[in-house]
Amino acid sequence: MILFNLLLKKYKFILGQILFAVFFILMLQITLKYIPYNSNVAFLQIKQTEVHGIKPYLIVFYIHVFTAIFSLLAGFTQFNDYLLKKKTTIHRFIGKLYVFSVLFFAAPSGMFIGLFANGGLYSKISFITLSILWFYFTLKGLFSIKKKNVSKHRIFMMRSFALAFSAITLRLWKVIIVYLFHPSPMDVYQIIAWLGWIPNILVVEYFIHKKRLT
Amino acid sequence: MKKVLILIPFFVLIACKKNKVESDNNLDATALDLNRALYGNWVGEFNASVYDTTGNFVYSNKINIIIKKIEKNTAYGQSIVAGNSRPLLGSFKKIDDRHFKFTFKEPGNKDSDGKFEFTIKNDVLEGTWFAYNHTQHVTQRTFKLKKQEFKYNPNAILPNEGDYIDFYSKKTDTINSDLTDSLEVAEDYYMDTYRSASDIITKINSSTQKLTENDLKNLKKLELEILRNTIYARHGYTFKKKSFRQFFDFVDWYVPISENVDNELTSIEKQNIKILNRFEKYAEDNYDSFGR
Repeated sequence: MILFNLLLKKYKFILGQILFAVFFILMLQITLKYIPYNSNVAFLQIKQTEVHGIKPYLIVFYIHVFTAIFSLLAGFTQFNDYLLKKKTTIHRFIGKLYVFSVLFFAAPSGMFIGLFANGGLYSKISFITLSILWFYFTLKGLFSIKKKNVSKHRIFMMRSFALAFSAITLRLWKVIIVYLFHPSPMDVYQIIAWLGWIPNILVVEYFIHKKRLT
Repeated sequence: MKKVLILIPFFVLIACKKNKVESDNNLDATALDLNRALYGNWVGEFNASVYDTTGNFVYSNKINIIIKKIEKNTAYGQSIVAGNSRPLLGSFKKIDDRHFKFTFKEPGNKDSDGKFEFTIKNDVLEGTWFAYNHTQHVTQRTFKLKKQEFKYNPNAILPNEGDYIDFYSKKTDTINSDLTDSLEVAEDYYMDTYRSASDIITKINSSTQKLTENDLKNLKKLELEILRNTIYARHGYTFKKKSFRQFFDFVDWYVPISENVDNELTSIEKQNIKILNRFEKYAEDNYDSFGR
């Protein structure tokens, strides 16, 4: 029975990794649409007002797209018990890459493009809050490991990654909502702006509470 | 002195000739005046009356029969229907002052060509069209048309009559009903869904206002398509696609007059067509896919 549970746990983990890999590839495809450099491609097709009207928009947008993708790499390595305990160099390397890309690039650039988000004020508030929280959780996670506080580091990095993961959940919700209700594009956008990350953070908080990680 | 004498008869000759031409014109004009009232666009429904059982055709299209010129017993015109503009040549007979008879032939080098026979009586043009090619899905159509002037009106807008539904976008979903006590056999039933456009298309004028990204962001693909095609409809473009005809054929101000209106577009309209195309492409690629 114990063995069975162990196997189940392992399979669940592998299945989760495969699923994550699928979404990571989808995100990578979305990222690669912006190569070669083009100011009127993919999402930018409906952002020409900002591209032409807000000088730093295009460069900040590009920074966001090509640094945020690195933060998703953490999903492969940072929550794997084996890598955490036995291959600490990998954990540290990917961890540093994550913190570096989020704090210096992905979160600040996310906040800037959030100022011009589609869907009006409600989406803007959502994306700006998201970027501030993402920055804050990541910074807290970094400081706590500097103080060798592993459990606190774990909690904050789980929160941080839950927000990074919103890149995927937001787009997943969009597919579901459009399939079910066929709303107008910006009506969807206002919903997914919030639905993309609030449930993520709730799930993580529930997990933390249940496992009494605090 | 000799020179002058030679010149005088010359002048007289010219003057004589000029007078003659003018009087000829006057004569023609008075003769034509009566028929001139018949010239112009005759617009209305072009309904299938003899057809096969395939259902592979559009029952009703808006047609414009233009009477261009009548010379004695010969009449010249143009038929414009369903994206097809065809020259017409035929015979004309006046029965009395308010009753005329026409036979018009399309050239015959297109499978869809045929012959029109109609009368104009008390300002109503009524008749039948016969296809040359009898293997066509529709071999006869009838029509009852009224004279309608065409004038480009940038303010013309689609009437606000609730949602516009694209009847050519049917998607059928099978729904399995669960077994209940009263239902002994599980039954499948079908639900048809169509794409639809909201009344936003009656509020945005794509010919008079320069459209911005903000105006268009919340629009679905069908709404963008309709806004773009309303520009063409205002210029009297005849739509080849039945999926667009369905929205314009029943609009009072819409008169199909040409297969190509590209040269008529204003600069605002050209810019709007460009941005609408861009948004249509974005909607096509992204609306229901994993992405934004």
